[in-house]
Amino acid sequence: MMLFDRIGTFFGIVFHLASDPISIAVLFGSVLMGIIFGAMPGLTSTLGVALLTALTYGMDTSLAMVCLLAIYVGGTYGGSYSAILINIPGTAAAAATALDGYPLACKGEGGRAIGLTTTASTIGTIISMLFVVSISPIISYFALQFTSFEFFLLAFFGILISGTLTSPDLVIKGWIAGFLGLFLACVGRDLLQFYPRFTLGFAELDSGVEVVPVLIGAFGIPQIIQVLKDRFQIGETQKLQRIIPEIGTVVRNIPAIIRSALIGVGIGAVPGIGEDIAGWVSYGTAKNTSKHPETFGKGELQGVLASETANNACVGGAMIPLLNLGIPGSPPAAMLLGALMLHGVTPGPMITFEHPTFIMEVAAILLLASCAMFVTGLLLAKQVVKVLRIPTQIFMPIIGVLCIIGSYSLGLNIFNLYLMLPVGIICYFLTEMGYPIAPLVIGVILGPMADENLRRALMVSQGSFMPVFQRPVSLILFLIIVLTVVSQFDWYRNLKDRLLQKVFGRRNPHETVPKEKESES
Amino acid sequence: MMDKDKLRKADIFSGSIIMLFGLWIISQALQMPMKGSYGGVQNVWYVSPALLPLFVGAMIALLGALLIRIALKTVGRQGLTDTLHWLGSSELIHFLKSPALFRFYAMVVLFFSFVFLNIPRIDFFLGAVLFLIVFITMFYFDDDALLKKMLYFYLAGTVASLAFFSLGLSETLEASLPYPGDWLTLAFIIVYCIYVWSLIRNVPPLRKKYRTALILAVVAPFTIGPIFKYFLLVPMPKEGMVVAVLDAIWYWDF
Repeated sequence: MMLFDRIGTFFGIVFHLASDPISIAVLFGSVLMGIIFGAMPGLTSTLGVALLTALTYGMDTSLAMVCLLAIYVGGTYGGSYSAILINIPGTAAAAATALDGYPLACKGEGGRAIGLTTTASTIGTIISMLFVVSISPIISYFALQFTSFEFFLLAFFGILISGTLTSPDLVIKGWIAGFLGLFLACVGRDLLQFYPRFTLGFAELDSGVEVVPVLIGAFGIPQIIQVLKDRFQIGETQKLQRIIPEIGTVVRNIPAIIRSALIGVGIGAVPGIGEDIAGWVSYGTAKNTSKHPETFGKGELQGVLASETANNACVGGAMIPLLNLGIPGSPPAAMLLGALMLHGVTPGPMITFEHPTFIMEVAAILLLASCAMFVTGLLLAKQVVKVLRIPTQIFMPIIGVLCIIGSYSLGLNIFNLYLMLPVGIICYFLTEMGYPIAPLVIGVILGPMADENLRRALMVSQGSFMPVFQRPVSLILFLIIVLTVVSQFDWYRNLKDRLLQKVFGRRNPHETVPKEKESES
Repeated sequence: MMDKDKLRKADIFSGSIIMLFGLWIISQALQMPMKGSYGGVQNVWYVSPALLPLFVGAMIALLGALLIRIALKTVGRQGLTDTLHWLGSSELIHFLKSPALFRFYAMVVLFFSFVFLNIPRIDFFLGAVLFLIVFITMFYFDDDALLKKMLYFYLAGTVASLAFFSLGLSETLEASLPYPGDWLTLAFIIVYCIYVWSLIRNVPPLRKKYRTALILAVVAPFTIGPIFKYFLLVPMPKEGMVVAVLDAIWYWDF
């Protein structure tokens, strides 16, 4: 009965949103804007969500979510346009798409490739939406059993795993970025005793750092500086023919689509890592399982299908930990968390009690956004491609103004700008030196959760850490954290190799480690 | 991102800064109440506000030290000596004067002057127009020599503007002329446009770019600004001459 209730509620929300002209206008407008943001190299869906957060501040929560989720879905898909037509992924999520998409465009099949990415992205989003609906109650049920220790460990795990998986260089740089984010979260008066921490005498810092301006600074300013400093130019676009949905190709590849969608949802659900990793993993899996791996990189439709299904499936995947645990699954989801908090919605296990239909609403918006993306993608692709002709030197300064007015408008505080700009410059240097930004952002967002729950847990246990080892979920999380850390060291790999050799009599394939990792030990 | 070899050398310095930063966090955290009473709460170590900062500071310092160790192991003693030698040589000056870094300085100057000098003091629309005109012309012309000239000209204007506000001339003039800061900015925009025109008037492709830059620099703020001001009801950071005119137009009929 409960299942039918949920289905009824879901379709009720879908119908309600679809019958409201304002919601539909906002939906299509935001999807289109997302596609443009995704298609323009240098702009990302995270930046799109960040800038739109300021515009949605005055809207009601439901309409704001339509706007933000639609730009997220559209932005993730839009990256494929420039990946296919100019061999430059509009977003990191579409990097794997360029490998086969561009050769297809060179063969004169650009329209076919975009038709396929449109269909694959729509299916990926819809499959991930099904997971949001079906898995959320289960996770929510388990999360309700969590105590402060579990929440502290979960927040800490989110920061750590994000640092581990997103670091483009040494893993410890990812961890450093995560801890820098945690430090930023410590700034301001603490929640238990109201003691001012690291405020340096600025009264404006008493309430802590504002999350959204920090996120806008961290994602927007480094992007502008990088693009203009390195004189990034958009190349010549390949010709785009008639765009067809490629239903036949999709039907023939249903198992591959489902596999890619599962990879996307799974990776999306891991805190802090986003669509780019989902795209690459899915592409790699498709290549490894293909009967003709040699055709990959030369215009193989399966390659395009795999990366595009996975990166859009990641959107729904990222929503699962965000909505049920309050832990963002990807950088745009981190922005969404900031936006939700601005609207007075606190994601986490209590969301099903405080806002009983909220998860259904998110799922319904994802479904409608994927439909809007399909329609917009098929009808307006040729028009959207025209924006690729705008030089970066023109739109990047305008994005700068948007970052500034957007940061200011959230709280109408000039101090937000004084915070946003230095954070942006520091993040630029960090990016240049191989530190990932996603763990820093996750640290800023999860910091208050980690701080509050650690102290609350220790208060309840009178300063004892024993509950960590006595509670099964805590123990599992603790062991995963320990394993995540030690698995980065050489002595652990050698020990594992020796054990595996003794038990199974075989060598571990990871025996030879890269030089940098070697020195880490 | 830099290449791996340069990155490891840079890691020695970034690791040192990070380690020192971690130690600073610890030193600050040690001044927070660990025992005794604060705000009516009897402290024990596990409810202290210093608990997480101490942990974070210790981890940052430790990871910073680990990063230095990894970098030193990879770079070696010779690499470190070479890097230190490079820091003391004239190559560093050449590096700091490279066109890419000049582009970086230009952006930093533009952003800092807009946020810290213009936004709190002059009308948002005028500030945004100035920011965009300078920003777009500097980069859209795609000529490092021109960028340098425009940056120096803009810097001179910024210094003059800084002097104008810090000497209190704005308040003095306000009695006789409303919005003196805005008038000064408007004058600077016009002078800057004339200066840039004088630089590029003999280069036809740049003349076209100049026109585009001017149009966009005016159209963009007057599209973004009214959306925030009149549709989202967000008051501008500083409302001056232009907002007064826009208000008069907007509230005349609506």
